[in-house]
Amino acid sequence: MSSLAVVLAQAPQTTVINLAPGAGTPAADPNAPIPTPPVLWAALLPILVLGIGGLVLLTISSLLKKGAPRGFYTLYTVMVAGLSMAAAVPLWAKVNGWTKIAWWDFRDLWWQSLPTEAGPFSTLGQAIGVDGLSVFLILLICIAVILGSLLSDDFLLREGLEGPETYALLLFSACGGVIMAMADDLIVLFLGLETLSIAVYVLAASHLKRAQSQEAGLKYFVLGGFSSAFFLYGIAMLYGATGTTNLVAMKDFLSRSIPANNALLLIGFALLLVGFAFKVAAVPFHAWSPDVYDGAPTPSVAFMASGVKAAGFAGLVRVFVVAFGQYAADWQPIVYALAVLSLVVGSVLAIVQNNVKRTLAYSSVSHVGFILIAVEAATPAGIQAVLFYLASYTFMVVGSFGVVTLVGRVGDGRHSLDDYKGLGRTNPLLAAIFTVFLLAQAGVPFTAGFVAKFYAVIAAVDAGSTVLAVIAMISATIAAFLYLRIIVAMYMTDSDGRSASPVSRAERIRIPFATGLSLLLCVLTTVGVGLLPGPLTELSAKGTPSLVREPARTATDGGLTVGTTGTEAAPGQSQQQG
Amino acid sequence: MGNDVNIGYLTLSAILFGVGAIGLLVRRNALVMLMCIELMLNAVNLTFVTFGSMLNDITGQVVVFFVLVVAAAEVVVGLGIIVAVARRRPGATADDLRVLRG
Amino acid sequence: MGQYLPVFALLVLAVVFGVLSLLVSKVLAPRLPTRAKEAPYECGIIPGREPPERFPVRFYLVAMIFIVFDIEVIFFFPWAMVFERLGLFGLVAIAIFAAAVFESFVYLISNGALEWGPIKRQQRSALVSPARTAETTIRRVGLEGRPRAAEEAA
Repeated sequence: MSSLAVVLAQAPQTTVINLAPGAGTPAADPNAPIPTPPVLWAALLPILVLGIGGLVLLTISSLLKKGAPRGFYTLYTVMVAGLSMAAAVPLWAKVNGWTKIAWWDFRDLWWQSLPTEAGPFSTLGQAIGVDGLSVFLILLICIAVILGSLLSDDFLLREGLEGPETYALLLFSACGGVIMAMADDLIVLFLGLETLSIAVYVLAASHLKRAQSQEAGLKYFVLGGFSSAFFLYGIAMLYGATGTTNLVAMKDFLSRSIPANNALLLIGFALLLVGFAFKVAAVPFHAWSPDVYDGAPTPSVAFMASGVKAAGFAGLVRVFVVAFGQYAADWQPIVYALAVLSLVVGSVLAIVQNNVKRTLAYSSVSHVGFILIAVEAATPAGIQAVLFYLASYTFMVVGSFGVVTLVGRVGDGRHSLDDYKGLGRTNPLLAAIFTVFLLAQAGVPFTAGFVAKFYAVIAAVDAGSTVLAVIAMISATIAAFLYLRIIVAMYMTDSDGRSASPVSRAERIRIPFATGLSLLLCVLTTVGVGLLPGPLTELSAKGTPSLVREPARTATDGGLTVGTTGTEAAPGQSQQQG
Repeated sequence: MGNDVNIGYLTLSAILFGVGAIGLLVRRNALVMLMCIELMLNAVNLTFVTFGSMLNDITGQVVVFFVLVVAAAEVVVGLGIIVAVARRRPGATADDLRVLRG
Repeated sequence: MGQYLPVFALLVLAVVFGVLSLLVSKVLAPRLPTRAKEAPYECGIIPGREPPERFPVRFYLVAMIFIVFDIEVIFFFPWAMVFERLGLFGLVAIAIFAAAVFESFVYLISNGALEWGPIKRQQRSALVSPARTAETTIRRVGLEGRPRAAEEAA
């Protein structure tokens, strides 16, 4: 299903443009060829690789009679995600004006087909934008897929659920996320969001042997569909107010003229924000997240908390900070409220949970609050902080859920705090790894979490939201308690007071290779970024400034882009309100 | 098309959207909730078409295609999940889904 | 201010309608939840008996497959209207689209979603026979997985 949307995502512009000349007046010559937008395939490659990769995976598994050899699907998924990242690297180089990375000269490669001048650009009639933000998030989402599929490998074997479906869904979902990150058109954004979400609904319900998993899937589906409808209604309102769904055209239109109907615009903002807040689980739209995190298979939760959130924030930043930055005064108060509520409710409710997965769900709500304070700043530094936070949070949260996957044991059901008691004695390595992630999430210095929180707070202070920064720091302190609570349970208490007795075989948890690899990567990154934040800071800074620039009109602008349609429609807009 | 007619359509779609939203919150049957989501999406479709006609712009009508497809995909996935739940517990309503508590 | 009026009226109408219908149903409706009211369709004939518990899931599968291919067609129609004017671009676009949809078909077939005949993979154990015997009236079905029962049957 989601595979459809992958392909469809490219189509809206063609359809729109093709039909546009016929709008209102009959076309002059009914047989004249319809101008079609040029397609920069190189720019679409990351999307195509993920989408086609998923389709090919399903085809291979359909044609194999006896099932693939063990580990094949994981290896394949990792390779596809890696290929997608590789396809994004030349885009990154183009956006930043590089001609080569280290010794590798790009100039004689296929990306010659990209526009010659360096800097961000857009294609497919401005529907797809390539800039620092989108390329950064492509890389991030692909990393989330890689880590998530590594966790899934052993998990699926343990639970007896082997099959290509989880991996295909991961790829489709990532494809939707990448579309969201690149979308310069609200309809494309919506299609990306749905591709992402629908795949994730199924992922949440994919543990066939656990009733909770299907409940989680149903809840996620119902609330997700609800929020999608709000999101779409918001798009409709913005379309009514500006006469276009294209963000570039919308920004043009808003900077040139004051829309006749400001109320439509504001309603549109509010509805879009509701949709985004649902997807990233910001309070008061977080109700689904603890249930879904609790019920869904743990490796899928790792992807939900990292990849899905990253894509959601990509859309949020692009739509609000970039396209509607001019109207910041209108949407900032809502984001402010969402941020404060998420921070406070997330950290307070996390403390009273007795289930580690639910605790982590609420803690992720409070992390969303932190990212939102950086969004609220609506400055380049804020966007940089968002990207930095998303990147470091991806590794922290995948690592945390990786440990939870292992401790959950067969059946994926042992997630209460009691199951973590004495983990420090029975499984010292696992406990140590978990401690690293928990401390990082708490924001202890020398971990990635500290630097991320630091940047977010600095961005908020620089933008003048000192109160917000103070609330964030207070809630971080409250949240630190919940992480310490888990750590204390692991080290200080023992499940039944037999601290001296030897560790039985049943208590010892074997760390399988793929999961171990994923955990290792996460630990290294979490600590590495904490000690040396420079490279990631630089990378996220590169993701930012290019974004603030308005995506360039396509060099091959045929004069029939949606933008022109929209601006032409503007007079009709004012007249309808007479 | 007259302006009043358009406002009428907008109002109708707002009402349909509201009915869908309230229905989703009030009714407890999973299938009805699915229908409510459909109702909301189709209300938005009506809004898009109306705006498209007001602006004399084809985009509003083209969007409907994509929304229809998304709605169909959602129905399929939703039905799949509902069937999976129903197989485990026939006749379950949303209130019965209480292994997980929010 | 006049220009906001329609939107305002729209909002008010939507809210009033929602609240009103809720209130009316609260006030007027007798609250006697019955099975019929919980049913997806609130009107029609009340089912005289419960439908069979084990409903073949393949009906749902077929319904879902139908929706997919049904929706596929709505993209073919606009394309078919202008395919000559669109030229190669449209052909490539629709081919990509059709290929993606066709792939789901391949997946469905390989998963046996469209197998309508008797289930071929069913294996009958020698121990299990639904036929009546001279010794007992109990038919010996469903003995798999029960080691004791298997011994007794032997």
